[in-house]
Amino acid sequence: MSASLVRAAGWFAVAVVFAVGGFVLPEFYVTLLNYIGLYSLVALGLVLLTGASGITSFGQAAFVGIGAYTTAVLSTHAGLSPWLGLAAGLGITLIVSVILGLLTLRLSGHYLPLGTICWSVSLYYIFGNIQAFGGQTGMMGIPPIELFGLTFDTGRRMYFLIWIFTLAALLVSDNVLHSRAGRAMRALKNNAQTAENFGVNGGAMRLWVFVYAALLAGLSGWLYAHLLRFVNPSPFGIAMSIEYLFMAVVGGAGHVWGAVLGSAVITILREFLQDAMPGILGRTGNFEIIFFGALIILLLQINRDRGFGALFDLYKRRPPSPSDHGLPAVARRSGDQPLLSVRGVSRRFGGLVAVDNVSFDVARGRIVALIGPNGAGKSTLFNLVTGLLALDAGEVWSNGSRIDRLRPHQIVGRGLARSYQHVVLVQSASVLENVMFGAYHRTRRGPLAAGLGIGGEEEHLTVTEAERQIRRVGLEKWMNEPAGNLALGQQRLVEIARALCAGPELLLLDEPAAGLRHAEKAELATLLRELRASGTSVLLVEHDMRFVMGVADEIVVLNFGCKLAHGSPTEIRRDPRVLEAYLGGSVK
Amino acid sequence: MLLTQDGLVNGAIYALLALALILVFTVTRIIFVPQGEFVTYGALTLALLQQGIVPATVLLLLAAGVMAAALELWSGLRSPHRRRSVTLAMLYTGYPALLSYSLYYHIGAPANVAAQVLVTLAIIVPLGPILYRVVFQPMANASVLVLLIAAVALHLVLMGGGLLAFGPEGGRTSPLIQANFDVGVMTVTGQSLATLAASMLLIAVLFLAFRHTLRGKALRATAVNSVGARLVGVSPETAGAICFTLAALVGAVSGILISSITTIYFDTGLLIALKGFIGAIMGALGSYPLGALGALVVGQIEAFSSFWWSAFKEAILFASILPILLWLSITHPATGDEE
Amino acid sequence: MRRLFRTLGIVTAFLGLAAAPLAAQAQIKIGIVISMTGPAATLGLPQKNAIALMPKTMGGKTVEYITLDDASDPTNARRLVERLVTEDKVDLLMGPTISPSALAVIEVAGRSKTPIITFAAARSIILPMDDIRRWTYKTTINDDVFAAATVEHMKGKGAKSVGVIGFNDAYGESWASAFDAAAKAAGLNIVAAEKYNKNDTSVTAQVLKVVAARPDAVLVIGAGTPGVLPQATLRQRGYTGPIYQTTGVTTNDFLRVGGKDVEGAIIATGPLIVAHQLPDSNPAKKAAVEFADAYNKQYGEGSISAFPGFAWDGMLLAQAAIPMALQKAQPGTPQFRQALNDALENGKNVVTTSGLVSMSPESHVGFTPESLIFIQVKDNRWTYLPK
Repeated sequence: MSASLVRAAGWFAVAVVFAVGGFVLPEFYVTLLNYIGLYSLVALGLVLLTGASGITSFGQAAFVGIGAYTTAVLSTHAGLSPWLGLAAGLGITLIVSVILGLLTLRLSGHYLPLGTICWSVSLYYIFGNIQAFGGQTGMMGIPPIELFGLTFDTGRRMYFLIWIFTLAALLVSDNVLHSRAGRAMRALKNNAQTAENFGVNGGAMRLWVFVYAALLAGLSGWLYAHLLRFVNPSPFGIAMSIEYLFMAVVGGAGHVWGAVLGSAVITILREFLQDAMPGILGRTGNFEIIFFGALIILLLQINRDRGFGALFDLYKRRPPSPSDHGLPAVARRSGDQPLLSVRGVSRRFGGLVAVDNVSFDVARGRIVALIGPNGAGKSTLFNLVTGLLALDAGEVWSNGSRIDRLRPHQIVGRGLARSYQHVVLVQSASVLENVMFGAYHRTRRGPLAAGLGIGGEEEHLTVTEAERQIRRVGLEKWMNEPAGNLALGQQRLVEIARALCAGPELLLLDEPAAGLRHAEKAELATLLRELRASGTSVLLVEHDMRFVMGVADEIVVLNFGCKLAHGSPTEIRRDPRVLEAYLGGSVK
Repeated sequence: MLLTQDGLVNGAIYALLALALILVFTVTRIIFVPQGEFVTYGALTLALLQQGIVPATVLLLLAAGVMAAALELWSGLRSPHRRRSVTLAMLYTGYPALLSYSLYYHIGAPANVAAQVLVTLAIIVPLGPILYRVVFQPMANASVLVLLIAAVALHLVLMGGGLLAFGPEGGRTSPLIQANFDVGVMTVTGQSLATLAASMLLIAVLFLAFRHTLRGKALRATAVNSVGARLVGVSPETAGAICFTLAALVGAVSGILISSITTIYFDTGLLIALKGFIGAIMGALGSYPLGALGALVVGQIEAFSSFWWSAFKEAILFASILPILLWLSITHPATGDEE
Repeated sequence: MRRLFRTLGIVTAFLGLAAAPLAAQAQIKIGIVISMTGPAATLGLPQKNAIALMPKTMGGKTVEYITLDDASDPTNARRLVERLVTEDKVDLLMGPTISPSALAVIEVAGRSKTPIITFAAARSIILPMDDIRRWTYKTTINDDVFAAATVEHMKGKGAKSVGVIGFNDAYGESWASAFDAAAKAAGLNIVAAEKYNKNDTSVTAQVLKVVAARPDAVLVIGAGTPGVLPQATLRQRGYTGPIYQTTGVTTNDFLRVGGKDVEGAIIATGPLIVAHQLPDSNPAKKAAVEFADAYNKQYGEGSISAFPGFAWDGMLLAQAAIPMALQKAQPGTPQFRQALNDALENGKNVVTTSGLVSMSPESHVGFTPESLIFIQVKDNRWTYLPK
């Protein structure tokens, strides 16, 4: 409780500082802050897009344009209230961004920026060639915003309006980033496949962020139109879109205040360069452009897309406090159907047959090990089962229903959770946060609710659940460490805790014991046996034969994509074909 | 017919650029927005040479070269390949220095057209690998997104540099080939034929070189799998440098070809490059023949939409990417395997 | 909230009072915003050159020029002008170069009661006259006067139909609509109206459409070197009729880039570009020759164009008005700005490079229709066409 109180106090203090600033600052600072506020809104959307979700848009200025032009046309030509203009502008932005998002977001990441570049060039010429919009020359005489009889007709008055909206947007975005949805975005950026495996519908989530960013841009456009009371196409072109992106990058695409920092740095720097550069170099030219471009390249080389945002790492938002009980247990489906039934599954890569007509079952409460030499197709099989790869032939069933046609994010709902051969954790996020992400599909809170601060109880339950799983794998000491600081073996345990957090009936573990010390392996074995006792099955790929022979109830041996043998550890140990495959019995 | 011809000439240029873009993207994962700047640099450098002025792009090359050398030494002196970096650094600074020295103090701007073209290429083409060394090599392992942002930033730097070197006004060059041919009712200018022929030739040469030379095979290997390519002895750095050399060559040649047909400005590059991109996207950023074909289509759309509805030409052209994206999103859904 | 705003007003006023003694130096401040970069750099850079030649004293007071670049973007222009009036507290504003920027800033000028002399062309900068436009002036003639003169000239050559190829930007748009109206009024038939972009690599399609309509004359609307391409393509496609250009192309670069392709172009423009060829009776001749010589001397022979003239004329208007204003108030005060505005508005027969300018409360245009002339490109030079 106290954590959120501190936070509320912090935001209140910031709001007070801005309010006081609005009264005492000289006119010119108010003007500058107005633009910084407008730019921050747009850059904020890009922080969520680029920094959190790993996609980007070069079309944000066009959304600003939609917001500005809609209100300009409605309030000037039709004489409607600017507030109606806001509603209409956001409505149009919503529709356009949904259409564009649907078109490009299913493609791999680089089509979105290209698509947005093209559409914003297109829109620029449309704005400029419609006479009702004032053409290239622009429209003037846009009426000021009025509210409760108060007219926002000066820069100083607009300052209050702009910063009320900007601070609200910052608060909402910060809430989103520190919620279930925020964890999903970071997971998506880190590795889309992993995110899908834990139930994130990547396309839908990206679409949400894209639309949210577009709406913030539209809002900025509305404020812009009523601040300048003039619009023409030039501030909505591709050059401005690029500048918005630069603001997000300079500020550090990962923290909401980065948007404000970036907008402020670029705005003030430009003001400064305008005065200083001709003095230094004795002639005018596009020095700002060269300077900004070089600055961006340098920042990217040093710090990738985190910009100056590294500064904000000093401030870490504390995780929500745990509640007295965890998430409600996932309802176990009864029945005697096997939890996993692989039936005649094949997969080819070009001419190479990676998995060839493999069949086996994993029954309830069993630990099944999948072994075989490198390249035998074990990890491919995992990917086929969890929906990351499509089957060429065969079927996969779970608990009596077919799952090989499902999208990856739907499979976790059938009780399957996994870990990875190459550890996939958000390295900069804490162990706790990584494990909390595992509970994604067991929780419901959408980004909108999170943004508005509704339904926060779920977060507390999730923390409790995650802490329980972290204790289970024995990492409670490192709970708040960034995951990247842990040893590789420990990171594998974090992956197991994350998978457990999804409440699975079947746990798929890809080389969980690699990198663990002897004692840790023993603890892991104990954990797996506990899970078995509680009715959870485990399918594991492992090279450590001693470990496998110690825990597994059954062993499936793959060789060159084919199933070589299937049986109890004792049977496998005696199987001559297996011994041959392992070059003369290193199994001993 | 005339429209088709006009569209074909522009389309051929876009096709060249589309090829360069696909090449750079497949090998280095960079969406190379500044490709258009090579075109404007090529065109305007030639235009200045024809006016008898030694273009300031030489100095730009020198400045970039010095930066590349500094970076090379900085990273190289701490690595085992010390000798190699020193050689490279000397190349990075020595060549531009020699070139600018001889241009400014000895040769001046050559009077002969062929020599002018050669000098232009000698200035612009080395910019490719040098820029790769300075900007992209230090972050070769970054995500596509970060590389794209860097590419856009580089585009701005080059555009600003272009304004410095060439000023705000445009440049045109006299046609390399003066002859006009009358075919039926229409006049075909020699230059547009030459443009077509030269682009075809360059496309063919690139294609053959890719298929049949060792270097070409190495590049293709890098495009498929950079780790694998490194194992068989092709360093991604070398591959990147070669790519950028080719990209700069293609850009400069396009610029030289187009500069007598139209006026080029310091900020023309982006739009030309974007049109090349639309072509490349039609080829899903991977297929060379489809990309080239797409670029030709772009040229046609441009010609016909300027005829029928010139005010909305760009709007139509750039909106035409939407159906393409729709088609791509149905046929090539993301597998999510980018990093 | 209302009370908050009032408190705020008091605080601001207080700060203003505190700052006033600092600002009240015996120096005149002129804030200038022009487009030195961006697409309009072609127009703005010559203006920057003209500003460098402006006198350092006026009416016995030193003049400080604060010149800023809006990068051809109205948002920047607006921010810079806000800065000039609030931070630098300038007495007079000049610029911006382009109409969108001008339209974005005049409100700031009007509200802060600072006179502004713009170099941009749009009519709506000065019309309709209201409390804001009380403070705005412009040194360019309204496009419709040029357009009407061009139409008359075409008809004088016997043209009955005309084709138009225009810039797809603010300049092309406002010219095209003015020309449209003038042609309709005079019964000249516009048979084709096409648009092109500065960075287009080809205008063949547009030209084909125009040529197919068989117009008696063609008007190309472009600024600077981009005006070359349509004319070159027209000639290449076998069009032989007269080709008209607009004032925007009257730069040396146009001749350089255009070469023999732009031979014969006819342009309605101000007198500056052919200052020496003007008949002595032209009232603009003396001022135009002086400025053209000074400019050419500094920036190279033949570098004069219409654009620096707009800025120079603004300075000439200010130079005439400032001594009058100084009699009433000291620079740096609202009273001075008011007096300066009155002096500008009532200026009569001020000598400028475009003739004798007289203002009135109804008309704030610093350009007289009588001084409009026609020039033609002959032997790659601008040549005066006597009426």
